[in-house]
Amino acid sequence: MADLTLDDVSKVFVENDGNEITAVDDVSLEIDDGEFLVLVGPSGCGKSTTLRMVAGLETVSSGEIRLDDRVINDRQPKERDIAMVFQSYALYPHMTVRENMSFGLEESTDMPDDEIASVVAEAAEMLGIDELLDRKPDDLSGGQQQRVALGRAIVRDPEVFLLDEPLSNLDAKLRAQMRTELQRLQEELDVATIYVTHDQTEAMTMADKIAILDDGQLQQVGTPLECYHEPENLFVAGFIGEPSMNFFDVSLDTADERLVHDDFDYALSAETQSALDGTEALVLGIRPEDISIGGDADDDHRYETVVDVVEPMGNENNVYLTFEEGDGSETFVATIDGLERVEEGERVVAHVPEDAIHVFDRRTGRALRNRRLESETATEPQL
Amino acid sequence: MDSLRNSLQRLDPRSGHGADEPVSREREGNRFAQLRGSDFVESIPFWLPATLLVLLFVYGAIGWNVAISFTGWSGLGQPDYTNFTLEMYRQMPADQNFRASLRNTVALLVAFTSVSLVVGLGLALLVDRKIRFENTFRTIYLLPMALSFVVTAIFWSWMYASDGLINTTLAAVGLEALAFDWLGDPRFKLAAVIFALVWQFSGYCMIVYLAGLRSIPDDHYEAARIDGASTLTLYRRVIIPQLRSSTIGATVVLMVFALKAFDFIYVMFGDNPGRSADILAVTMYRQAFSASEWAYGAAIAVVLFALALTIIGPYAYTQYKRGAL
Repeated sequence: MADLTLDDVSKVFVENDGNEITAVDDVSLEIDDGEFLVLVGPSGCGKSTTLRMVAGLETVSSGEIRLDDRVINDRQPKERDIAMVFQSYALYPHMTVRENMSFGLEESTDMPDDEIASVVAEAAEMLGIDELLDRKPDDLSGGQQQRVALGRAIVRDPEVFLLDEPLSNLDAKLRAQMRTELQRLQEELDVATIYVTHDQTEAMTMADKIAILDDGQLQQVGTPLECYHEPENLFVAGFIGEPSMNFFDVSLDTADERLVHDDFDYALSAETQSALDGTEALVLGIRPEDISIGGDADDDHRYETVVDVVEPMGNENNVYLTFEEGDGSETFVATIDGLERVEEGERVVAHVPEDAIHVFDRRTGRALRNRRLESETATEPQL
Repeated sequence: MDSLRNSLQRLDPRSGHGADEPVSREREGNRFAQLRGSDFVESIPFWLPATLLVLLFVYGAIGWNVAISFTGWSGLGQPDYTNFTLEMYRQMPADQNFRASLRNTVALLVAFTSVSLVVGLGLALLVDRKIRFENTFRTIYLLPMALSFVVTAIFWSWMYASDGLINTTLAAVGLEALAFDWLGDPRFKLAAVIFALVWQFSGYCMIVYLAGLRSIPDDHYEAARIDGASTLTLYRRVIIPQLRSSTIGATVVLMVFALKAFDFIYVMFGDNPGRSADILAVTMYRQAFSASEWAYGAAIAVVLFALALTIIGPYAYTQYKRGAL
């Protein structure tokens, strides 16, 4: 059992014409023993490259990767004591499930055959694939192949588990089921795990800790709730949460103590204003579930709006609102209770409470003020 | 489509009334219209001429050849089709020349096929390692395949000549002891032919294997590396077993070619290469067209045909079973 540390790790690819592309830029991470870290970000953000560097499938351009105190930068993959599950599963098609699962043990350990057989049988039983041991991967369903790929990693009993978008080839129902199962499995095995995904739902639901990457740079590392409620910048705020946070470009009017937008003014308390530190070009952010509908438009922070589109989800409705009727005007989304009825075209009053707003510096994207959490359970994350 | 058309015709109210006679005439007309409308009939002009020509010139010729092999036809004159015997086939086991050429054919088949496959696989594995100038190497290795056998046979006979490139080179590096009369010495004749054919065909095997290698996802290499496999084990246990279908495909092509490697040997040695390099295809030609033993030549052709069928048959059958044909 070991802790994994990435210290200022970078990866630079040099193209044929000499162009340099920085895929991973000074990423530092710590994954404690038994911790489940999810690396999340949009396509091409460098998350898979980071994982592959840990696996030893890519060289490290600069920085250090350490397992406990051992630097493993230049070690061969097999000397790193890691196991990896690939997005495509990478099962060897000519081998049976049993052979696929034993292969790693046969190649990397001196374990006698009967011991390998018992380890494989045990892992297969744990994953519920003991009936499939004599079949070939082509005869298995996507979910079963997924389990075999997991089994192949588990039998190695590695120090670090690496999972590269392992659920992305499954259908939605199975994915949700495997999500819980993976979590249970990881808890049982209690091994440091890095899980790469572009799906923020997976990140939020499974992780002990989330690391959000964009364009090769680490944006934020924190617990799912920290990243959700206290995003460090605009990117994190927009990436985590579904539907995304609403953003409005606003400017600060210090004289009137308010934020000014083309369609509305937003009055600020002294406390919020002091947090903004005089920055004028700002972005106002508000989570859809923090906007409520109803009340009197004359009050502060309540605005007359028109319902553009309603997306009923059953348990809740996503209501797209505009300040003015007609095309072209900006819409923003509010999530309201599923039983609350709102019709398209209806005029409603939207309430944007001040304790729930986020304000970002428009130039740097940095968060100047995040919502205040009176208690941890104030708002359940909307996924 | 036709059944739909039929049922529509049945629903047609006009076809229900009137006296008996007009109805039956109409029915006949219907059948004609039906026939004219069917896909089968309409497509006849497209496939029938080609099919007839293939039947006549390929299968007809094979059939005729089999018929000739049952006669005693030799020399001038016409074959006598009234009296079929198995005489020609009975002669074969006692014929030293036939036995030698059958043995050589099998030796050529096995050695040429296996060596070409191994060399081709080796080249493919090397070229696949993301080397520089990969395309150039690929072209260089495949080029011999594009040359006519007459051309390659002539230039290999120059290379093998007693004062040819090979012996001159050996002499230049002080290995005169290894300079033999490659095409004259019965010990080396067949090996020399096999070597030249391997040179020409290993490029083809390389291309087939390269295609196979390219269809193996990179993930398999990486998963095996993480699993702790050395390069050797990676290829032995993970990659090469996945090239099974490439191997089978290339083997069938090479074997069938080996059976009819006529032009190469004919250009090198003429119609009598001697017992050490004689193969069935050349023996067949010599018996039929040099010795005018038409029936015996035809019988040898039937043996060759049967050998080719035993090679292709199982392959075609398994492909058919898998739905690939």
